[in-house]
Amino acid sequence: MTGTLRQMLTCHWSARRIQRYLDADPAARLTPGEISRLEEHLATCERCTQVAAEHRALHRALSLWSGGTTVDPRSVDRVRDFLSTMNDEDSP
Amino acid sequence: MALTTTSNQADAEDLVQETLLRAYRAMDRFDGRHPRAWLLTILRNTNANLHRRQRPGTIGDWELIRTARPAFGRAELPSAEDSFMDHEMHADLAAAVLALDPRFRAALILVDVHDLSYAEAAAVMGVPVGTVMSRLSRARDRVRKRFRSIAHNRGDLS
Repeated sequence: MTGTLRQMLTCHWSARRIQRYLDADPAARLTPGEISRLEEHLATCERCTQVAAEHRALHRALSLWSGGTTVDPRSVDRVRDFLSTMNDEDSP
Repeated sequence: MALTTTSNQADAEDLVQETLLRAYRAMDRFDGRHPRAWLLTILRNTNANLHRRQRPGTIGDWELIRTARPAFGRAELPSAEDSFMDHEMHADLAAAVLALDPRFRAALILVDVHDLSYAEAAAVMGVPVGTVMSRLSRARDRVRKRFRSIAHNRGDLS
């Protein structure tokens, strides 16, 4: 009973940190202690491991779309020309 | 980012040029920190101003992403998983993302599709980092739960 309750609390604690753990964003890094605790939990908890896998799969699926957003090279050339014009106009 | 914002190649080009022009004019007020976030903030404000004059619009229009296709000349063939995601999941995933509140959807698209950091997304959305994290978390959880049921039904994510 105590073990189950402890497990539930750890799952809850982990669920609140899994995204930050996976993102590793500089603005919201986990502490080394939190990372260790989370990784220990993920090593033993099938449900939380599944949640982490789903987050990874979702991020992967979404990130694939960025590769599909192609920019016309002619647009890039035109923007470069525009930048050159701005630069030329500002030069003495 | 401009493409996603405008859903239109010509509008995106105009937006980028206008953004660069404004950035150039505002260069002396730039403190040198977070240049991408600074530029994206100008892009967001520029887009808002353009839309104010033209038509309503939202950041992170999913339509362009939903209809996008992999670039020509891809360096390598997509993996089986990529193919599955591209061809089988995209409609369901797009539907799940479209169903999100626009504020949550914007956070998801900026961070997961455009790979912006929390701080950059916060700059683009004009909200604190904590708000981005909260919206992102909610968006991901909602899409993930839908994604899970679809994948499990198909037996692809066990």
